[in-house]
Amino acid sequence: MPGNRGYCIRHALPGIAVLTILFLIPLAATFSYAFRDEAKALIGIIRDGYTYRLLSFTLTQSLLSALIAVAAALPFAAFFARYSFPGRKAVMTLSALSFTIPTILVVLGFVIWYGNNGILNTLLMKFLHRDYTMLRVLYSFKAIILAHVYLNFPVAFLLITEAWMGLPDTAENAAYTLGASRMKAFLSVTLPRLRGGIASAFILIFLFCFSSFSIILVLGGNPAYSTFETEIYRKVHISVDREGAAALSVFALCVTAILMAAAGLGVRQKRAERHRRTLRKAEGGKIAEAIIMMLLMLLFLLPPILSILYRAFFTKDGAFTLRAWDDIAGKGFGMASTALEGIMCSFAIAAAVSILSIIIGLRIAEASAKCSPRLLPAISSLPMAAGSVTLGLGFSFISALIPVKSDLISCILVAAAHLVIVLPFSVRTMTPGARAIPERITQAAYTLGASAGKARRKAELPLLAPYIRKAAAFSFALSLGEVNATLTLSDGRISTIPVLIYRMISSYNYQGAAALGTILLAMALIIFAIGEYGGKDNGIS
Amino acid sequence: MAYLEIRNLKKEYRDFTLSISLSVDEGEFLCVIGPSGSGKSTLLSIIAGLEEADGGTITLAGHDITHSRIQERGIGMVFQDFALFPSMNVSRNIEFGMKEKDKARRKEITADLLRLVGLEGYGKRSVNSLSGGEAQRVQLARAIASEPRILLLDEPLSALDAPMRKNIRNAVRAIHDSLGITMIYVTHDREEAFSISDSILLMKDGQAEARGSAEDLYRNPPSLFSAFFTGEGTALPAHLIFENMEGSVFFRPEEAAIAEEELDPSLYTMHVIFSGCEVISCEFMGTGYMLGLSYRGYPLLCQSATKPRRRTVSVMILRTCLRNLQ
Repeated sequence: MPGNRGYCIRHALPGIAVLTILFLIPLAATFSYAFRDEAKALIGIIRDGYTYRLLSFTLTQSLLSALIAVAAALPFAAFFARYSFPGRKAVMTLSALSFTIPTILVVLGFVIWYGNNGILNTLLMKFLHRDYTMLRVLYSFKAIILAHVYLNFPVAFLLITEAWMGLPDTAENAAYTLGASRMKAFLSVTLPRLRGGIASAFILIFLFCFSSFSIILVLGGNPAYSTFETEIYRKVHISVDREGAAALSVFALCVTAILMAAAGLGVRQKRAERHRRTLRKAEGGKIAEAIIMMLLMLLFLLPPILSILYRAFFTKDGAFTLRAWDDIAGKGFGMASTALEGIMCSFAIAAAVSILSIIIGLRIAEASAKCSPRLLPAISSLPMAAGSVTLGLGFSFISALIPVKSDLISCILVAAAHLVIVLPFSVRTMTPGARAIPERITQAAYTLGASAGKARRKAELPLLAPYIRKAAAFSFALSLGEVNATLTLSDGRISTIPVLIYRMISSYNYQGAAALGTILLAMALIIFAIGEYGGKDNGIS
Repeated sequence: MAYLEIRNLKKEYRDFTLSISLSVDEGEFLCVIGPSGSGKSTLLSIIAGLEEADGGTITLAGHDITHSRIQERGIGMVFQDFALFPSMNVSRNIEFGMKEKDKARRKEITADLLRLVGLEGYGKRSVNSLSGGEAQRVQLARAIASEPRILLLDEPLSALDAPMRKNIRNAVRAIHDSLGITMIYVTHDREEAFSISDSILLMKDGQAEARGSAEDLYRNPPSLFSAFFTGEGTALPAHLIFENMEGSVFFRPEEAAIAEEELDPSLYTMHVIFSGCEVISCEFMGTGYMLGLSYRGYPLLCQSATKPRRRTVSVMILRTCLRNLQ
């Protein structure tokens, strides 16, 4: 269409400019610290053997977590992609819900459920009549892996199931008619076509675990289990070594960039098949199999989250109490900010971030769809390479440069950090929607005399509404649960719900953390419901 | 000056160039036909302003619209792939481009247009619930509602099944006749073009190959390409029949007569006779048989009212029916 270049510049440029400024300024601050005194700190980090031990541990735990999550998800995906049965949709929805559950809730759920004095151990001791802790999971390498698998199993399950459902079963049926066994058909026909989907899931989980923070910090329990992210945090807040933290950030950034580039080379986007797989109705033995599968998934996924709800209302000994809820209204938790202030602050930041991410992200997504399918998404994904702790560190350097200190400034800095972290996800959620709008729709509006503004407002945006709603909900949820950058940047002036939960876990106030966790969980559920079911679908997806 | 005048229009792509001049009179129904990739849809896109020409001029009702914005051209378009706005119901789709501001009048116009396209009472329906034929009727009503100076239809029936196509093309022609609106209709289906148009423009490789009424193009095709694109027929090397003639001679299947016995050429001086043609295929067409014959290795296509009983037949054609084409 005529004028596409002008359209792209007008639409994408403001958003890209905001993103670049918000991303590059903190990054520049980090680089300036890292290269201070002739890059002494950076050279030190490169020469230090500890850096490579960190790298080795970070890679090992990421690889292992991704491998186990994908391997565990495969049999479930194989079943869910082929059969329909009662409860299937509910389990899929529950898995999708995990995308909006903040990591800090997983940490809290693990502490309450798997803790040495946690609910699982209490139950085991009671029913098996033992007087000692039977299951020692927490504060170990296996706790980190288990938590990562817990968090990412639904991701792998959904991605692989979706990829599998996208493969029509004609080729497999052809293999069966040619005498192939189920195993041979799977290995020679299904698996090669599924490889891309499995690899995508693996890489996504690997990269997530590579930049994991709160799980390592809390569930690892000691500095022996440190990743780049936790070490940067420790350098800033415990060793107060800003140059060292900045240098490590730069090193981590380079490693992540290499990994992301390798991942980009490794995964080729495949064209979607025209026909999707038809689900077969599960009958007889398959129903029993389905029930066992669903039970296994629910038994793995639900207890840690449900234990948060339980612990918000019951003491460790099982007595009902509302003490934690009373504390939420006052300063009973002994924190600098009251829990209510934390909730308000979290809500205000998440709302602002969500609105801004839609305003900026929508323009980028529309421009990506219309004129730059590769460049704009790549630019808007840049912050993903940096990692949230690195971004938080950059913003903390900027904060140090601002002479005036106030709650508002702290709030704005946290919101800015959240915005940079959230924006790539917002753009990625809306871009497929913008791409799905047929060009003909806009052209039809033009031939009917509509201006570009009217065509966008009346014809395009209503079609994008479900994607905008989903992106807004996703951005809100990400900001609400963000702990990595917030904790790194936090100067103690303002606290968000996840930061308060982290501090309460650190001071063993599990009941208070559970009460706040319940609020966070309720918010996440509401946001998920709004994102998934909050409006009508206009039929372009 | 014609109502729509296109002069030396040029659009260059890496492997294709559109280069065309044409004129359309007010109220004319012009069909543009041609094989895939001949430039039909590109021509329409440039007239509508969806693509920009590299050169040439487009004048509509005396105004040069070559560089006008799409919105200012006053050109309505019906797209092949049902480009209705899914977020709006049928009525709101039709009202989208209406110039009338009065709400009550808009409703009235919408109801009239729905009646015109045979969809009375469909106003409140979601466009997602419409069948392909209904969606195209709504597109038609929507385009007309914006009071275009000229209406372009880009293969509007190609996604529909055969009975529905016939139904809608009759509706399109009826609307043209009742409103007198100038229409340019792109299709690759010659039967559709023959039945609906006042005149036909045949395109090949980005250029106008022939222009005329359906009868003209069928009976007097200017080239072999036009002859074969506008109907079935046989082309034989001209020297096979006439000494010193170059190119090919062409005839339509219905212009040939079949005889099962040997024919004496001296008795048929007005005819050309092909003796000893072998019957290769015999296809029942309802009104007769279409015979595939072989004459000295050359394929011949002839129509016959009866099914031949012999394997070898003679074919006779009036000399005046043989056209020398290149």
